[in-house]
Amino acid sequence: MAVPKNPNISDYAFVDPTPMPAEIPKVDEVGSTSAPLHSAAYFIGAYCKEYNEDFMLCKNENNDPAHCLKEGRKVTRCAIDLLRKLRENCDKEFEAHWNCLDTNNQEFHRCRAPERKFNACVLSALKLEKFIPDSPQGKPPIHLKENPLYS
Amino acid sequence: MPVPYGALIPLGIITAMFGVSGSLLHLTKTYAHEGKPPRYCLDNWDKQMMERDKRLTGSPHRQTSEPIAPKEFTTNSVWYLTSKRILWQ
Repeated sequence: MAVPKNPNISDYAFVDPTPMPAEIPKVDEVGSTSAPLHSAAYFIGAYCKEYNEDFMLCKNENNDPAHCLKEGRKVTRCAIDLLRKLRENCDKEFEAHWNCLDTNNQEFHRCRAPERKFNACVLSALKLEKFIPDSPQGKPPIHLKENPLYS
Repeated sequence: MPVPYGALIPLGIITAMFGVSGSLLHLTKTYAHEGKPPRYCLDNWDKQMMERDKRLTGSPHRQTSEPIAPKEFTTNSVWYLTSKRILWQ
């Protein structure tokens, strides 16, 4: 009797028989999985702001994948650059934070203590600050709240 | 009336049964998710990220922070063969 498998996870190895055409410039893809990306997310937002905004405006014009390949390459390269810098400068705190996220369902509010250390390290080494857009005015943002009710 | 110490024996057996079944459940869940607790409240974003993790590392539960993806990553996506429906959750 076959155990029903998760329909969202592919269960066989697949190799695309129609790779990209040769005239499109090649770019290395971002190789980090979901937990380190969640951890570095706000820093990617701060470091790569111009490239990300370019890409989103381009997508806004025309949602066809072929239209925004150039801006997409820039976004990928910027993210790879930042991941390299984070691993060079703040590797221990980075790894502690994404290991914590990994064992807590990728939820930020359960990993505030490693996050504080990681944010302090990135601020001193790379001068990047975590900024949550659209957080309510007048109150400290949720990651800086002292003594929150839940965790 | 004296204290019924004999009743503690079946109480101990029942407590041990709860403990054993709970431990077995915890062990099987941990084994199934490579040493981590199960993921819950997964929306489409999380499901697609887990599929991406599988393409990168071979398992949806394994994480790596390598900046550059292995060569196979560019061609091992089955996304374009799947029927794309918009799922609202």
